[in-house]
Amino acid sequence: MSITNLLNNWSFYRQKRPYRGQYDLNRQYSEYKWAMALDLDICTGCNACTTACYAENNLPVVGKERFKHGHVMHWIRIERYWDENMGEFPEQGASFLPMMCQQCEEAPCETVCPVGATSHTNDGLNSQNYHRCVGSRYCSVNCPYKVRYFNYWNYPSTAWPAPLPDQLNPDVTVRTKGIMEKCTFCVQRLNEAKSRARTEYRLVRDGEVVPACVQACPTSAITFGNIVDPKSKVAMMWKNQQVDLYKDMQEKDNSVRGYRILEDLRPFPSVMYLERVRDMEA
Amino acid sequence: MVNTYEETEVAVEKRFVPKPLDINADIAWAKINKDILRSLERPRPIFWVIFIASFALFLVGVSCEVYQYQTGMGVANLDNPQMWGLYIATFIWWIGMGHSGTLLSALLHIMHADWRKPIYRYSEAMTTFTLLTAALFVLVHLGRIWQFYYVVAYPNERWTWPNFQSPLVWDATAIGTYLTSSLLFLYIGMIPDLAICRDNAVGIRKKLYTFMSLGWMGTDRQWANFRVTYLTLACFLMPLAVSVHSIVSTDFAASQQPGYHITSFPPYFVAGAIYSGLAVIITLFIVLRYTFRFEEYMTMPILEKLAKLTFAAGMVWTYLNLIEYATTWYGNDMYAKQALIYRATGPFAPEWWLMNFLGSVLPFALTFKRVRASIPVMLFMSIFINFGMWLERWMIISPTLAHGIYPWTWDDDQWPSFIQWGIVAGSFGWFNMLFMLYCKIFPSVSMYEVKEMLHERRFFKSTNVATARDSAINPDLAVEGGLAS
Amino acid sequence: MSKSHMLALFSDFDQASEAIRDLKSSNFEGFKLDDVTLKSPIEHPEIEELLGKRPVYVRIFTFFGALFVPLLGFLFVASSQATFLLQPKGGKPVIPLPPNFVLTYEFFILGGVYMTVLGFFISAKLPMKRNKLYNARVSEDQIGILIKAEDAIMPAIKDLFTRHNPLEIMGGDN
Repeated sequence: MSITNLLNNWSFYRQKRPYRGQYDLNRQYSEYKWAMALDLDICTGCNACTTACYAENNLPVVGKERFKHGHVMHWIRIERYWDENMGEFPEQGASFLPMMCQQCEEAPCETVCPVGATSHTNDGLNSQNYHRCVGSRYCSVNCPYKVRYFNYWNYPSTAWPAPLPDQLNPDVTVRTKGIMEKCTFCVQRLNEAKSRARTEYRLVRDGEVVPACVQACPTSAITFGNIVDPKSKVAMMWKNQQVDLYKDMQEKDNSVRGYRILEDLRPFPSVMYLERVRDMEA
Repeated sequence: MVNTYEETEVAVEKRFVPKPLDINADIAWAKINKDILRSLERPRPIFWVIFIASFALFLVGVSCEVYQYQTGMGVANLDNPQMWGLYIATFIWWIGMGHSGTLLSALLHIMHADWRKPIYRYSEAMTTFTLLTAALFVLVHLGRIWQFYYVVAYPNERWTWPNFQSPLVWDATAIGTYLTSSLLFLYIGMIPDLAICRDNAVGIRKKLYTFMSLGWMGTDRQWANFRVTYLTLACFLMPLAVSVHSIVSTDFAASQQPGYHITSFPPYFVAGAIYSGLAVIITLFIVLRYTFRFEEYMTMPILEKLAKLTFAAGMVWTYLNLIEYATTWYGNDMYAKQALIYRATGPFAPEWWLMNFLGSVLPFALTFKRVRASIPVMLFMSIFINFGMWLERWMIISPTLAHGIYPWTWDDDQWPSFIQWGIVAGSFGWFNMLFMLYCKIFPSVSMYEVKEMLHERRFFKSTNVATARDSAINPDLAVEGGLAS
Repeated sequence: MSKSHMLALFSDFDQASEAIRDLKSSNFEGFKLDDVTLKSPIEHPEIEELLGKRPVYVRIFTFFGALFVPLLGFLFVASSQATFLLQPKGGKPVIPLPPNFVLTYEFFILGGVYMTVLGFFISAKLPMKRNKLYNARVSEDQIGILIKAEDAIMPAIKDLFTRHNPLEIMGGDN
């Protein structure tokens, strides 16, 4: 990267990035900012999203022993919370929360990687560079959601005995031991869709590309899209729920269900959850 | 306390009032050379036994690491969220230990505390070797060690550089600076001693010392330059000692996790470092004093002072520790309070309480003169205080990861595996080997500085009353073998 | 007129300083106080003052090291961060000042230490070959005075030394 190139582009980039509101239509720099909205009331906890993620992103199934040991590699996990006093049976009253990398705008994981393996892309994703990662695991220490998963074992040698390697997704790297990985909003699908759209001189349309979890969800609990496009479903949902990408602790009406997790830590996550409707009188 | 020296006739042109010396003022200079050089002679068989034991321990660590390298970090019983464990704890502990060597060498030199003169050489060497040991852990804890050089700012055709925003890169810079500066400081300070070794050695050793002493002849010009250089280096090393461990503490303080994100971490870590470093200086003091029969140089008054300094450092650490708890309680931050309660009552509670006991309660034994004067008790105490500080590092790291902000990720089950303990033990073997080699090749007491100590005192040796009084207070200072030549 | 060296060894600093005072007050031809070197096992600032203030250049090196190395260090760090302009991290600016301050501070100490050491080697002229008239007792407990003077005045200087009870006199006859 030559110095003239740097100097010419410096003011352009520096004015636009990093800047809160960079996805603002009035100061638009990037055409895409991927975001999600997850309706917890519709989620049934069926784990289809997790399974689809395993299939799409070449995740190794670690087995029961290692799962108990904390070495599980699911990029999206279904968390189960039980309300107390909810009924006669202990299985009643479970709430399900699918948790994946929140693609925080001001991610605490990005600043602390010693080799710079993780950073922020133009379209608002937190990127993980497998080749650069040396496995210091500082990013996971800093992540408040603990959605980063470390390859503690050499899975490619054990996780897919023949003929399973045939089902691996060729668009996604298979990670060896010592590398950190996490949900990427199926960046391989996004890149393919963007590239296809570019050849047709247009932007990606709403609903044209979805990550595997969104595709697999039987109840369509997850909405995914480009929040820069004001007419996309996800942008309208965020607007209706009065959740602003760059604000924390916002004033909201009592009727809206939308919130983001651990907002007060100010990482500005890109995933909005809609709270489960609870029957308060019963 | 009546100062006997005011009663004797002191010549008018002497400029300063002498204070009681911590070593016997009548040691002949030639004897100093002889005693210290005696420690460099062919070692007894017990030396080889301990050396081979240390090497064996180091091999245990190496084999654990090879196993971990080949199989993956999972054998260390780390998991999500407990991504950091004993490696980082021991790394910080080793680095912290070295800070006292620099404190003794640099800070006490600037403050002209002469009692440091017989003991600072091995302390400074200890600093250098603890840093080398800590460097091992930086490598061991990486998932992909074979690419560790990505952390170093080396030029490459892809123009990739490390991420300078990361506290780990600040660590790398600070520790690299500290290691090289410490090594240079040790070396420069050793040059006059290396000249003495050169003058008394034969064979291959003589070649080594001749090369390393750079033709030092003790001329006034050389001494003048030396004095200025040493003081300047000491002035630079003092802020370095403070800043290095502060930077290491920002590994945690710059994070957002409860129990990590604490403003007082930089001074807290530095205080803990000084504390554990002084404890290890006492341990090595006792070992060297016994092994090389340095009783005349590493005297009990110096041990007294070290013990008192350790107590003071312990109280500083205790205050910063307790004030952290107090401010956590007072600040009412939900996550931070949870983290503190978990430390006191969760699965790490036995270690946490032990740490507080060893770090805060045990040093009060140092207030008793009988404890300070008893060598076995001091050995025992220094080792346990050091252990307490190791526990402290561990108790900072693991409980926060086990019980962080997000309840779903809480994980009480993980305990370090044999691999982690094996590698920690291996680091002790490595340090031991380096230190033992050092003590046999280079003088572990600074000969010229002890002579300086005596020279200042000798100005005022007008009668024997003073010396007799010194011996009466402390029998250890009784004159042995007659007066100076 | 050829010059030669003579080394006289004394048992303590007092006699050596007397000898130097005598040398200083004497007016031998072809002999300057500059040619007198004191060799001792420890430093002795008073005798050094007697011999005249000989300049020590170490601090100049320190100054330049502590000034330029952090400056270059900051520029290096900032430029490497600038090449990663397109990969912002955590919403922080491209050239963040707090991390750069920490690194610049470390470079300040690094520069100061390294240049001081370099200055020491240059100013003290180390490494140097040892003088033929070096006696190992100088590193032990004796004080040596080495002088370089014309052959003609050597006997006079020898007399001067003898008046102060030297333990040994070496050289003087080339």
